[in-house]
Amino acid sequence: MMLLLALLVPLAGAIACWALGPWLRNLAGWLATAAVGISFVATLLLWGAATQPGGVHLALFSWMSGFDFGLTLDPLSLLWALIITGVGFLIHLYSIGYMHGDRAFARFFAYMNFFIFAMMLLVLSDNWVGLLVGWGLVGLASYFLIGFWFERRSAVAAARKAFILNVIGDVGIMFAIFLIVANVHSIRFADTFAASATFGAPLLYAICAGLFIGAAAKSAQVPLHTWLPDAMEGPTPVSALIHAATMVTAGVYLVARCAPLWSHSPRAQMLVGTIGALTAIVGAILGTAQWDIKRILAYSTMSQIGYMIMGVGVGAYAGGVAHFFTHAFFKAQLFLASGLIIHALHNEQDVRKMGGLRARTPLAFWAILVGVLAICGIPGFSGFFSKDQIIQGVLENGHPWMYGVGLLTAGITAYYMFRLFFITFLGEYRGNVDPAQLGMAPEAVGAEVAHEPASTGSGEAHAPAWVMNLPVALLIVPSVLAGWLLFSTDGASSPWSRFFAAQFPTAAQASAAAVPEWATALIALGVVLAGIGVAVARYATRSAQANAVARLRDESLRMPKLLVNAFYVDTLIDGVFVRGARLLGSLFGRILDPHVIDGAVRGVAASAVGFGVLVRALQSGLVRAYALVIVLGVGCFLAYYVFGIPR
Amino acid sequence: MLVLVLILLPLIAGALLFLLPRDDVAMSKSVGAVAAAAVLVLAVAERGESWAWRWFSHPFIAEIHFGATYLSHWLVVLLALCTLCAVLASNVPRTRNMIAALLLLEGTMAGLFLARDLLVFALFWDAMLLPVFFVLIGWAEHPATAWRYFTYNFAGGLTLLLAVAAFGALYGSTDVIGNPAYHAIASAWAPWMLAGFAFAFLVKTPVWPFHTWMPQTYEETPAPMVAVVSAVQSKAGLYGFIAIAFALFPSYFRQEAPILIVLAVISMLYGALVALVQADAKRVVAYSSLSHLGLIVLAIASQNPLALSGALVYIVAHGLFSAALFLVLGYVEEREETRSLARLGGLGWANPRLTGVFCITALAALGLPGLAGFVGELIILIGVYQAGLVWAAILALVAVVLASAYMLRLLQGATNGAEVPDLPVRRDLTLLEGLAVAPLLAALLYFGVYPHALLVLMR
Repeated sequence: MMLLLALLVPLAGAIACWALGPWLRNLAGWLATAAVGISFVATLLLWGAATQPGGVHLALFSWMSGFDFGLTLDPLSLLWALIITGVGFLIHLYSIGYMHGDRAFARFFAYMNFFIFAMMLLVLSDNWVGLLVGWGLVGLASYFLIGFWFERRSAVAAARKAFILNVIGDVGIMFAIFLIVANVHSIRFADTFAASATFGAPLLYAICAGLFIGAAAKSAQVPLHTWLPDAMEGPTPVSALIHAATMVTAGVYLVARCAPLWSHSPRAQMLVGTIGALTAIVGAILGTAQWDIKRILAYSTMSQIGYMIMGVGVGAYAGGVAHFFTHAFFKAQLFLASGLIIHALHNEQDVRKMGGLRARTPLAFWAILVGVLAICGIPGFSGFFSKDQIIQGVLENGHPWMYGVGLLTAGITAYYMFRLFFITFLGEYRGNVDPAQLGMAPEAVGAEVAHEPASTGSGEAHAPAWVMNLPVALLIVPSVLAGWLLFSTDGASSPWSRFFAAQFPTAAQASAAAVPEWATALIALGVVLAGIGVAVARYATRSAQANAVARLRDESLRMPKLLVNAFYVDTLIDGVFVRGARLLGSLFGRILDPHVIDGAVRGVAASAVGFGVLVRALQSGLVRAYALVIVLGVGCFLAYYVFGIPR
Repeated sequence: MLVLVLILLPLIAGALLFLLPRDDVAMSKSVGAVAAAAVLVLAVAERGESWAWRWFSHPFIAEIHFGATYLSHWLVVLLALCTLCAVLASNVPRTRNMIAALLLLEGTMAGLFLARDLLVFALFWDAMLLPVFFVLIGWAEHPATAWRYFTYNFAGGLTLLLAVAAFGALYGSTDVIGNPAYHAIASAWAPWMLAGFAFAFLVKTPVWPFHTWMPQTYEETPAPMVAVVSAVQSKAGLYGFIAIAFALFPSYFRQEAPILIVLAVISMLYGALVALVQADAKRVVAYSSLSHLGLIVLAIASQNPLALSGALVYIVAHGLFSAALFLVLGYVEEREETRSLARLGGLGWANPRLTGVFCITALAALGLPGLAGFVGELIILIGVYQAGLVWAAILALVAVVLASAYMLRLLQGATNGAEVPDLPVRRDLTLLEGLAVAPLLAALLYFGVYPHALLVLMR
C-alpha cells in the first residue's frame, strides 16, 4: 500500500494542480511540493523491506495471461525512487520561487508532479510494459516542460524534437518486447531473466540492442543526443530535475536493471560500452564550445551519462549506478545555482555577458564551485569516488581503450567546467558590454528577449528567497559527502557494495586489473589538474582577466565550425530523415494520389462502356433524381433475388 | 427483439426528427440525444440475442437475421457512443437535419454490424452510404465530393452484391455470418467471390490504393458526421474482413493474405508520410486514418490470434480517438473559421480547455502509452511479430514514429506559438462541447490502463 501511495500521490497532485489551477493559484506549488514530499517519505519507510532479499512486491492486475502488472521495490529501484522524490522535492521547492509570477504557475506544477509519477512508474514497474508506459510518460512530461513557454517557437520545436527522438527509443523497446513475449510469453522481468539462459546469443543481442535504442534516446547517447541541448529551452528547474538528475538517467537504470541480459552478451556489452565512451568524449568536447550556461551543463550531462552508460554497459554496474547517484546531486545543484544567476540577471544565460558575479550571487558562487569540484573528481568530493570506480571498472572488465577515453574525458571535463566557473565569476561584470564586442552573433542577441517568462506582473509580493536558496544550500552537502559511501579501506565492503550485494552478484569481473586502483586515482587526478591548468591559463590569470572582453570575442569568432555545429549531427538528421520524409510525403500527396492513382481510377471508369456519359447525365440531375435512381437500383436487385434466379 | 430495436429505434427517431420544427435546435438536439442515449444503453445491455425471419427460400435461403457476435457487439457499442457524442457536438447550420442523418446512419450501420445474413449485410452496406451522401450534398463545399464518395463506395457495394448473389446460388443459403453450422465453401468461384467481397472492404476501409475518395470526403464532411464515419463506418470494411472474408473463405484468405499484408504496410507508411505534409488539419487526420487502419488490416492479414485480439482493441481505440479528433477539429474550425495549419496557432492561451482536450486526443492518436491506442498497437505488433512478419512489424514501428511527428505538428500548429492577431478569439470549450468528448477520452484512458474486457478473444 505504501508503494502505491508513493506512486499515486504525485499523480493526484498533478490532477489537482491541473484541474484546480485557477483556484489554487500559488498554493499549487506548495501542494505539488508536499505531494512529492509524501512520496519521498513513503519510499523511505519502505527502505527496510526493500533491502530484504526479494524486495517489496505488489501485484496489481492482469490484461490477459502473460500480461501481469505489478510493482517492485528492490535496492536498484529504491535508489532511483529516493533520488527522484528526494531531489525532486528540493527542485519543486526551488521552483516555487523560480516560477513565481508565471501565468501558468499551476500548470507547471501539474507537469512536474506528473513527471514524478511517470518516473516512479518507470522505476517501480516489475514488467516491460509498465516500464514502457512510464518510459513514454516521462517523455511526455519532458515534452510538456520543454515546451512550457509555448509561445516561443524555439521551445515548441525543441519539445517536438525531444518527443520524436524519444519515440524512436520507445519503439526500440517495443521491438525488444516483441522478442521477449514471443520467447518468454510473459512480460515480467523475473520471467525474462529466468528464461534468458535459454536464449541464443543472436536473440539476446537483438533484445539488448532494442532496449538500448530506448536507453540511448532517453539518455541522450550518440547519435540520438541532439534533443538534450535544445531541451534547455525549458525552465531551469526542469533542466535540473528531468534533463540532469533523473529522466536522462533512465537509460542507465534500464541497462542496470537488465544486468542479467547484458552479462551474458559480450556483443551487447561492447555496443553499449562503445556508445557510452563515445558519448562521454563527444559531450565533453562539445561542452568546451558552448556559451550558454545551460547548454554547457547540458553537454556535461550528456558526457557524464556517457560515463554511466559505459560503466553499466561493460559490467561495472555498481560504479555506473554510483555515478548516477552522485551526479544527481551535483548536477542538480549546478543547474539550480545557475538558475539563481539567470534569475538575478533577468534571464541572461550567455556566460560572455556574466563575469564578476561572485559578490552579486555568493550562494551561486559557492554552489557552483562545489559542483565543479565534484564533477571534475577532485579527491574528497563525491564525483571523485564514482568516476574513478567507473574508470577502474571498465579496465577490470577488460576494455583498456575505454579506460583511456574515460581518463581523457575527465581532463576535458575539468577544462570546460573551470572555464564556465572562471568566465562566470572572475573579472568584471560584462552585462553592459556591447554584445558585438563579445563576439555574440546578432540573432542570438535578439533571442534573449524572448526568454522572459510570461509574467502576470501584478506586483504581487515575491516568494520568500529561502525557497530558492535552501535547496541549493542543502544539495551542497551530498555533493561533497555522497561519494564517501563508496569508500572502503579493504576494497570490497563499502556501504555501497553492501547495499547492492544482492542486486549485482559480484560479476565475473574479478580479473585483477593491470593498474591498481590507487594508481588510476593518481593518473586521473593528474589529467584533471592538467585540464584545470589549461583553464586557469586561458581565463584566470591576471592578464586574461584584464583582457576578458577581447579574449572572449577572439574565442567566439575563432570557434571551429565543426564544434559550433556540434559535428553536424543535427544537420545530417534534418537533411536525411526530416527532409526525406517530407519529400516523400509531398511526392505521394501531391503527385501520386491525385494524378497517378486517381488518374488510373478515372481511366477505368471512363473506359467502362457508357459509364462516363452516364455519370455526366446523372450529375446534371437533381438530388431527388439521384435518390430515385438509387431506390430503383436497389429495387431491381431485390426483385432479381426475390423472383428467382434460373438454376 | 432487442437487436431489432437497436436498428429500428434510431431509424424511426431519425425519420421522426423531420417532423420537428426545422429551426428548433434545442429540441432536435434533445430528442436526438435521448434516442442516441437509449440506443447506447440497449447496445451495452444487449447479450447476444438474435432475431430471424425467413425472407425467401428460393432460389436460395435468405433470412432477415440479426444478432450480435462478440466483435459486432463492441462495434455497435462504439457506434452508439460515437453517435451520441456527435449528436451532442452538432453545431452546424440546419442542425436538425444533421442529427436526423446521424441517427439514420446509426440505424443502417447497426443493421450492417448485426446482420447475420449476407444479403441483409449487402443491403445495409449500400443503405449506410445514403445518409453520408445526403449530408455531403447538403453541406460539402463541392457537390462533386458527394458523388466521389458515392461512386467509389457504391462500386464496392456492387461487387459485394454480386459476390453475395454468387455465394447464395452456389452455397444455397446466405444465412452464414457467425453461423456455426457453416462449412467452408469449396468452389472454383470462391476466389472470385472473395475478390468481390475484398474489393468492397478495401474501398470502404480504405486501404491503399483504394483510398483516394477518402481525404476529400473527410475534409468536406461536417465534423459530427465525419466523426462517426471515420470512427465507425471505416470499421465496416475491417468487420467484413474478419466476419466474412476470413470466416467464410479461410483457405483462400490465407492464400491471398500476402497481398493484403503488402497493401496494409504500404497504407501505414504512405498515410503517415502524406499526413506529415498536409496543410489542412482535417486532411492530416484523414491520412492518419489511412495509416492507422492499415495497422488493423495488417493484424487481420497476419491471422495471429494475439494480433486479432489486439485488432479489436485498436478498432475501439481508433474509433474513440478519431471521433474525438474530428469533433475537436470541428470545435477549432467553428472558432477560428479555418482549418489551415498555416493560419492556425496560439490557441493555448485563448482556449486552454479546448487545448487540453485537443492535446489528450492527439496523444491518444499518436499511441501514447497509457491510452488505448498504445495497447492495440503493442498487442497487434507482438502478434504480427509472432506470425513471422518481422519486417512488417519493423515497418509498422516506423509508422509509429511518424505518427508522433504528424500528430505533434497538428497539435502544436493549432495550439502553440504566439497568438495569431487576425484570428477571431472566441469563448473556450463549453460544458456541452466538453461533455460530448469526455466519454470518448474516458474510454480511451480506461481501455489504455485496463483493456481486459476487449481482450476476451485471448482468454
